[in-house]
Amino acid sequence: MKSYVLYPGCVMPTEQYAYEMSIREVLPLLEIKLVDLKDFSCCGEPIKSVNQMLSLALSARNIALAEKEGLDIFAPCPMCHLALSESKRILDSDPAMNEKINKFLADEGLTYMGKSVIVNTLDLLHDIVGVENIKKLAKKPLNELKVATHYGCHLIRPSEIGRPDDSENPQKMEKILEAIGAKPLDYPEKLDCCGGLLTANLPESALTKTGQKLQKVQEQGFDAFIDTCPWCHRQYDSKQTKAGETVAAKLEVPVFYLTQLLGLSFGISSDKLGLDLNLSPVDKLNLGGK
Amino acid sequence: MSNKIGFFVCHCGINISSTVDIKELMEYAKTLDGVVISKDYKYMCSDVGANLIKDSIKKHNLDSVVIACCSPRMHEHTFRGVVEAGGVNAFNLEIANIREQCSWAHENKNLATEKAKALVRGAVAKAKLLESLETSKIKVTPKALVIGGGIAGIQAALDIAEEGHKVYLVEKSPSIGGRMAQLDKTFPTLDCSSCILTPKMMEVANHPNIELLSYSEVIGIEGSIGNYNVKVKKKARFVDMDKCTGCGDCMVACRLKDRISSEFDEGIGKRSAIYMPFPQAVPLKCTIDAENCLLLTRGKCGTGPLCVEACDADAIDFKQKDEEVELNVGVIVVATGYDLLDPTSLHEYGYSRSDDVITTLEMERLISSSGPTTGEIIRPSNGEKPKSITYVLCVGSRDETECTWCCRIGCMSALKHVYLLKEKLGEDIEINICYTDIRSFGKGYEEFYRKIRGMKTNFFRGRPSEVRKSGDHLTIDIFDTTTNKLFEIKTDLVVLAPALVSRADATDFTRILRISQSIDGFFLEAHPKLRPIDTFTGGVFIAGCCQSPKDIQDSVAQASGAAARAANILSKKELEAEPLISYVDEDLCSGCSTCLSVCAYNAIELVKDGDKSQAKVNEALCMGCGLCVVTCPSGAMQQHGYKDKQLRPMIEETV
Amino acid sequence: MGIVDLTSMGESQVKLRNEINERLSRLQDEISDYCYQCAKCTSGCEAHKLLELEPHKIVALLKRGLIDEMINSDVIWTCMSCFKCRERCPQKVAPVEILFALKNMAVASGKQIPGNYTAMLQSVLSIGLIQDVKSITTRDNKTKSRSDLDLPEISKPTDSTKFQMILSKLAVEKV
Ligand SMILES: Cc1cc2nc3c(=O)[nH]c(=O)nc-3n(C[C@H](O)[C@H](O)[C@H](O)COP(=O)(O)OP(=O)(O)OC[C@H]3O[C@@H](n4cnc5c(N)ncnc54)[C@H](O)[C@@H]3O)c2cc1C
Ligand code: SF4
Ligand code: SF4
Ligand code: SF4
Ligand code: SF4
Ligand code: SF4
Repeated sequence: MKSYVLYPGCVMPTEQYAYEMSIREVLPLLEIKLVDLKDFSCCGEPIKSVNQMLSLALSARNIALAEKEGLDIFAPCPMCHLALSESKRILDSDPAMNEKINKFLADEGLTYMGKSVIVNTLDLLHDIVGVENIKKLAKKPLNELKVATHYGCHLIRPSEIGRPDDSENPQKMEKILEAIGAKPLDYPEKLDCCGGLLTANLPESALTKTGQKLQKVQEQGFDAFIDTCPWCHRQYDSKQTKAGETVAAKLEVPVFYLTQLLGLSFGISSDKLGLDLNLSPVDKLNLGGK
Repeated sequence: MSNKIGFFVCHCGINISSTVDIKELMEYAKTLDGVVISKDYKYMCSDVGANLIKDSIKKHNLDSVVIACCSPRMHEHTFRGVVEAGGVNAFNLEIANIREQCSWAHENKNLATEKAKALVRGAVAKAKLLESLETSKIKVTPKALVIGGGIAGIQAALDIAEEGHKVYLVEKSPSIGGRMAQLDKTFPTLDCSSCILTPKMMEVANHPNIELLSYSEVIGIEGSIGNYNVKVKKKARFVDMDKCTGCGDCMVACRLKDRISSEFDEGIGKRSAIYMPFPQAVPLKCTIDAENCLLLTRGKCGTGPLCVEACDADAIDFKQKDEEVELNVGVIVVATGYDLLDPTSLHEYGYSRSDDVITTLEMERLISSSGPTTGEIIRPSNGEKPKSITYVLCVGSRDETECTWCCRIGCMSALKHVYLLKEKLGEDIEINICYTDIRSFGKGYEEFYRKIRGMKTNFFRGRPSEVRKSGDHLTIDIFDTTTNKLFEIKTDLVVLAPALVSRADATDFTRILRISQSIDGFFLEAHPKLRPIDTFTGGVFIAGCCQSPKDIQDSVAQASGAAARAANILSKKELEAEPLISYVDEDLCSGCSTCLSVCAYNAIELVKDGDKSQAKVNEALCMGCGLCVVTCPSGAMQQHGYKDKQLRPMIEETV
Repeated sequence: MGIVDLTSMGESQVKLRNEINERLSRLQDEISDYCYQCAKCTSGCEAHKLLELEPHKIVALLKRGLIDEMINSDVIWTCMSCFKCRERCPQKVAPVEILFALKNMAVASGKQIPGNYTAMLQSVLSIGLIQDVKSITTRDNKTKSRSDLDLPEISKPTDSTKFQMILSKLAVEKV
């Protein structure tokens, strides 16, 4: 059993419950224990456009909170993972910035030390647990399900900051999905953006981006679309119908969190994985009963 | 120890005498211990001045000379000759630089004269401690080694051979010719590459002074300028070179015919396990590829090796072993050429995702009438004729994340391809070129670019972000800065112009050769402007693309230059060795190897002496730069003519 | 002396340009000056087709010092932060980071912040998160809260006045 502090970020614990539920179900089976973080706040990335100083400091604050527990940090949201990693990179390499931010953190009795490692779902599953161990638990292989993976921009770029997978040819999700019997296939739009970050000021355009990608995925006859990011999932799953309307297409692409699919293959019941929270037509695949 | 020093001071017209009081300096010198005469002349470097020195040496039986004059850079060499002619060892001469370091630098005559005195005082102090040194002679082995048989190596070998010297040409692959043999036509003149290359290859094969060692590798080099001892591994070909007639019957018979990807055809064509890379190969002999041949890898080839059955000359010999030969040469020319960057590393350009994304070199093989498609342009994915071809230039070049340099031939080779493709596929074939800057700097290159502009070519000034496969096509989004618009190009074939990089084994090779690489991985020249062909190792020269990317004409020019530099050494019977070099005081050396790391000429090695190791200076390699001397923490490294015990009194007297 | 854009009479704001470059070099090593306008960034920009963002032009304008022109334009708010431009730039210039700097500058100089950004900022200030915990609907239209789903309560910053104070002090600091 290895323990991590779970840093949930904003979107997952306020609305993307399926991600949180499936994480809390699946990881313990893989010998990963999660410790809930107290007093946490936004990572800052969503407001980086408004004030990057705030975003740097908010990330540092959350790292400092986690470091009090003396554990490494698990950030399931790729955007949070990027924000924390970038903040860490800057604070670790720029003593002036480190000092400045720590001065503010001191007001709350916190110190950023830079000792904790920050990991994402993909790091945990692929690098720490390992594909072999996942394979061992897969009781109900996903018979050749033809799936499209969506990594999400923040999970793989910018590589300068150190991301969980290769920026141009990410394969870890594919490996994990293969281990549970699914059949991931490459497609030209794989690395395209969901547009989610435009929701704040240009929601219509955000939906267009989402719709355009899903349309391509649907055209290529995929059975399902797999993501690991609460922002992306909100676009592709929660807002799929709207996205379809925006691009004048009827979209019917089942969208799952990677961890939901893992859970199903491990034999966890679908309600524990929050499957009824997916608004895309996941039923049509008949995966896992109640 | 010297005690009869002659002092000579030069006026240098008025260059020195206007600022330094010569009379006073002469008088002062006389008072210094050891100085027996003190003389001046208006121009000490003139014949009259020289005779004055020579005569004085004889007359006063001098054993050492101090000249106060201009910088030793100017006339030290001359004055050494003068002293030697007068009967004193050339190295018993010390120069006090009272021009650059005194008269030219100051205005106040009194102060300048005082400084001149100090400089002379130091020089005399050192002169007392100077030792005679002998210039040793090195015999030169009048033979050359050329490594790499591309156009650069071929040219260098021929030039040296024509000078009348014996040349060994070592080529790693089964045939000479290098990259140029892979090309169809050459820019900007559109000469047929093999038409101009093959005669040169034949000349190499037939030249009485050239011994070709193909399918061979240099595995070790010892010695130094004038006398290198070179170990060469001749890889087993499993074909008897004397018997093989080059008929090629075995290639047709081989069980693995058309099964192995051909290096020469850049993987587009296939070959057998026994093969000749191309029909004009030199030597025109077969080679068995030991990594693929069934008999050699599995011990069994079906019911028996078909090649042996097919060979009427009985040339195939599976018992052949690698052989090692030793060569003695005086000079080495390195011409190992370049590789192309593998575009897989720029995954966004789809090289590993689609067969229809190829490199410019692969396109050369497609265009070539002796290539795998006999010159037919096809899409590798389905064998069909492309209707649209799109070039992406600067792939991995001028790129901080890959290769920072310009490939220097990418633009021109793409322009050349436009011409050749239009010739083959008709002028209306759509050709798009995505470029950042067109670099057409060579003679006739800009004119060639203009010609291509007039040939219905679509130039897009911009760089694609990625190449996508969409159904049967490839699509490229490109923002064109000339129209300020984003275009989508639907195309059948994408050709990438990848960066030129040093050979994959370049780093290992520099260790064997004791030469250096520049940051880009290419071999480092001794001076980028003034010694672009020399390396830091005496007698080793570089030519062609192993030094930096370049076109054929520059490669040939550099090769001829290298040949001239090499022949220059070979035409001498002996070389003079520099005596002012370093040596190790064995009692003091701790074997820490600090000196090894600073020597740019790789002149120092660590030798084992019982359980102790010690630095040893190779006298033929040391250039006397003195870097090791100042670096040595134990004071063990000393330099003749500049020993600590000679310099210390000089410094003490001067300051 | 000086450089004037005759189409808009805008002048080169050298000081501001240097300030942005300095900020960028501290955050990610490379500055905009190395850009050679290959436009690889714009060819692949996720926001270009839809919203006409031209990252290579943003870099060019910055190099020329025409900062106001950008700060006053809505186009800087069309970036989706996909980071493709930063990832693929052959000169390691990061247009996306330039855009962040410009947006920050626009906000700091009192320009209107578009859309929901203000609301998000307010929410972070008051509860620490960009939005509060929501009840959501399932595929078959049932409403569910965290507790319905057996998820533990989440723990936001406890001392909210202290938290707010720190953030407002920080907000005026320069990166
Ligand atoms: C697509 C393309 C098109 C081009 N078109 C033109 C053109 O039209 N006009 C033009 O002027 N230039 C052109 N060039 C450039 C041209 O190819 C080079 O200028 C030329 O080949 C350089 O010759 P070289 O002898 O230096 O190197 P190479 O041709 O690379 O030859 C080096 C030789 O050394 C051998 N070798 C390597 N390592 C060792 C070793 N360790 N030991 C022994 N041997 C070794 C190799 O096997 C090879 O035979 C083109 C290049 C490309 C990529
Ligand atoms: S032994 Fe067989 S595989 Fe090898 S070269 Fe001869 S025929 Fe080809
Ligand atoms: S020669 Fe042309 S293609 Fe090659 S790097 Fe230079 S500009 Fe780019
Ligand atoms: S003097 Fe210079 S060249 Fe000679 S051994 Fe020392 S470092 Fe090498
Ligand atoms: S990709 Fe980089 S170098 Fe090219 S235009 Fe954009 S910022 Fe400039
Ligand atoms: S990060 Fe912004 S500017 Fe850069 S490519 Fe993505 S959308 Fe365009």
